[in-house]
Amino acid sequence: MKSRNFAVFVVMVLVAAVAGCQQRVATKQDAQDGQQGTVHKHDKEAERVTEKSADSRIQSADTGSQYVESKDSTFSDVNFDFDKYDVKDQYKPLLQSVASWMGKNGSSKLSIEGHCDERGTNEYNLALGDRRAKAVRDYLISLGVASGKLDIISYGEEKPLCTDQNEDCWGRNRRAHFVILNKAGK
Amino acid sequence: MRLVGLLMLFILCFMSVYSSADAKIYIDITSPAAKKLPIAIYDLPGSSGREISEIIREDLTFTGLFMCIDKASYVEEQTQPFSQKNWTPLGIEAVVKGKAEEGNEITIDIAVYDVFEGKEILNKQYKSEKAMLRQLAHSVSNDIYKAFTGLDGIFRTRIAFVADEDGEKGILLMDWDGARTRRLGLKGTLVLSPHWSSDGTRLAYSSERGRQWGIYLLDFGKMTEKRIFGSKGTNMAGDLFPKGDAITFSSSRDGSPDIYTLSLKDDTLRKLTSTQGIEVSPAVSSDGSLIAFVSDRGGSPQIYVMRADGSDIRRVTFEGSYNTSPNWAPSGDRIVFSCRRGKNQICIVKPDGSGLQQLTEAGNNEDPSFSPDGRYVAFSSDRDGMKGVYIMRASGEAQKKISPRGLRSYGPRWSPN
Repeated sequence: MKSRNFAVFVVMVLVAAVAGCQQRVATKQDAQDGQQGTVHKHDKEAERVTEKSADSRIQSADTGSQYVESKDSTFSDVNFDFDKYDVKDQYKPLLQSVASWMGKNGSSKLSIEGHCDERGTNEYNLALGDRRAKAVRDYLISLGVASGKLDIISYGEEKPLCTDQNEDCWGRNRRAHFVILNKAGK
Repeated sequence: MRLVGLLMLFILCFMSVYSSADAKIYIDITSPAAKKLPIAIYDLPGSSGREISEIIREDLTFTGLFMCIDKASYVEEQTQPFSQKNWTPLGIEAVVKGKAEEGNEITIDIAVYDVFEGKEILNKQYKSEKAMLRQLAHSVSNDIYKAFTGLDGIFRTRIAFVADEDGEKGILLMDWDGARTRRLGLKGTLVLSPHWSSDGTRLAYSSERGRQWGIYLLDFGKMTEKRIFGSKGTNMAGDLFPKGDAITFSSSRDGSPDIYTLSLKDDTLRKLTSTQGIEVSPAVSSDGSLIAFVSDRGGSPQIYVMRADGSDIRRVTFEGSYNTSPNWAPSGDRIVFSCRRGKNQICIVKPDGSGLQQLTEAGNNEDPSFSPDGRYVAFSSDRDGMKGVYIMRASGEAQKKISPRGLRSYGPRWSPN
C-alpha cells in the first residue's frame, strides 16, 4: 500500500517535471522567435545568425506636377516675427500689388511657400511654415484672388536663404515666398 | 526502498529543471544605483574572433550595467578550464570564453561563467556567413545580456533616419551602434522622420514630392512603397497604432494643421482635433490607448496627451515656451521631447507632467526616440557643427554620435526589434 502511494507520487512528480521542461522550452522559443531575423534552435545546437534582407533598394514613385516654376518671380518676401504667423500691416501694400498682378495674369497660378528660421524643431516648423503661407493666402483671397489660383507649400527650415546665426539672417528666413507657376508645356 | 531512491532522483531532476527555469537575476536594472558587473571577456582566436569580442565588449559597456575588465588581469588561458578560485580574488563576477573557426562561415562557441556560483550559465554555438560578423556578435551580446538581466537586449535593433542624398533627402537604416549604414532608395524633396510599425516590418513617413506632401508606407517584406494619404496642405506622418491597422498624422487639409487617424483597412478618416492653431507630431503610446501631440492652443507649442479617440485632452508641459516632438517610452511611464532652453534640448517627463528632467546640454537637440527596452534614446544634434544622429542612456549618460561623419542626418527612429 505504502509503496503504491509512492509510485503514484513518483508518476506525478515525473509528469510535473516533464511539463516544466516543456513549458520552459516553449517560452524560450517564443521569446526568441520575436527577435528579428534569427533562427534559434536548442542551446546545444548552433544558432544560425541570419537577417531578413531589408537592404535592397526601392524606387520612390514621384508625383509629377502639372505646373512648372516660372523663373521671373518678381514679388518680394513677406517676413514674420519669431514663432508668429500673422501678416504684419507693412506687407499689405505688397500683397495688394500681388493681387492686382494675379487679376491681370489669368493663366498663372501662384505658389506661396512658407519658411521658418532654423531655431524651431522640424515638424513644428513645417506646421508654422504652413500657417504663414496660409495667412498670406487668406489675405490674398480677401483682396479678391480666387482660391483656386493659390497653392501653398511649407518647407519649414529646410530651404534657408542664409545660414548665419544672427537675428538678421533668422528674420530673412522667416518668410512667405512667392513662386509663379505656369502651366506645364507652355 | 528502490522506489524511494528513484523518487529522490526525480525530485532532484525536478528541482534542477526549476532552478534553471527560474533564472537568477544578476543585475536588477530597475535599481538606479546598481553597481556595474565586472566581466572578463576573452578575445576569441583569429582576427574575426577578436573583432567579435570587441563588439560584444562595446555593446555591454554602452548599457552602463557591465564593466569590462582589462585583459591584463586575466589569470587563465582561454583554453584552460574555468576555475572559480582564479577569479574570486580579483572581484571579477563573470567570465566569457570561447572558440572560433573561420572559413566561408564563422562558427563560434561561447561559454559564460558565473564566478560567484562557480558554474557555467551559458554555452552556445553560433554560425553565420562571414559578412554577418557584426550581427553574430550582437546576437551573442543579446544572450549574455539576457543571462544577466533576464531581459531582451537591443543589440540587433536598427535606427531609421533621414539624411541628405544627392540634393534630396533619403531614408537610411543603420545598426543601433551606427555600423552598416544603408540607403533604402526612398527619396523626396523633403522627407520627415520615419515611424516603425510595432512588428518592424513597415515604415510610415511623409515626403514632399512635386509640391505635395504625401504620407507613405514602406513594406520591408514586399519592398514596396505605397502612398496612403495625400491632400493639399502639409501632411506629416505620426505613429502607426500597435496593431498596424491604423495611423495617426497631422494634416492642414482643412486649414490649420490638425491631428487625424486613418484606418489602413477601410480608409476611414477621423479628425481628432480642430483648433485654429497648430496641432502636430502625434505619438501613440505602445498600448495604443493614448496620443501625445504638440499644440499651440495655449499660445506656445506645448505637449498634450489625449485618448486615441481625441477625448480627454490634458496639457503635460508647462515649463518653457517651446516643447515639441514627443515620443513615448515603451512602458508608457515617460515621454521624451524636445524642449527649448535657449537652444533645443532633450527633456523627459512623466505623462502627468511630473518628474521633468533635461537630458542634453550641448547644441540643438531634436527628434528623440526611445529604444524598444526604454533604456536608451536616439536623437539628432548639431553640437559638432553638422546635424547628426546620437544615442544616449535615458538618464542622459553616455551620449555619442553614431551616424557617419560628414553626412547630415536627423529624424532617427529606433526599430522595435
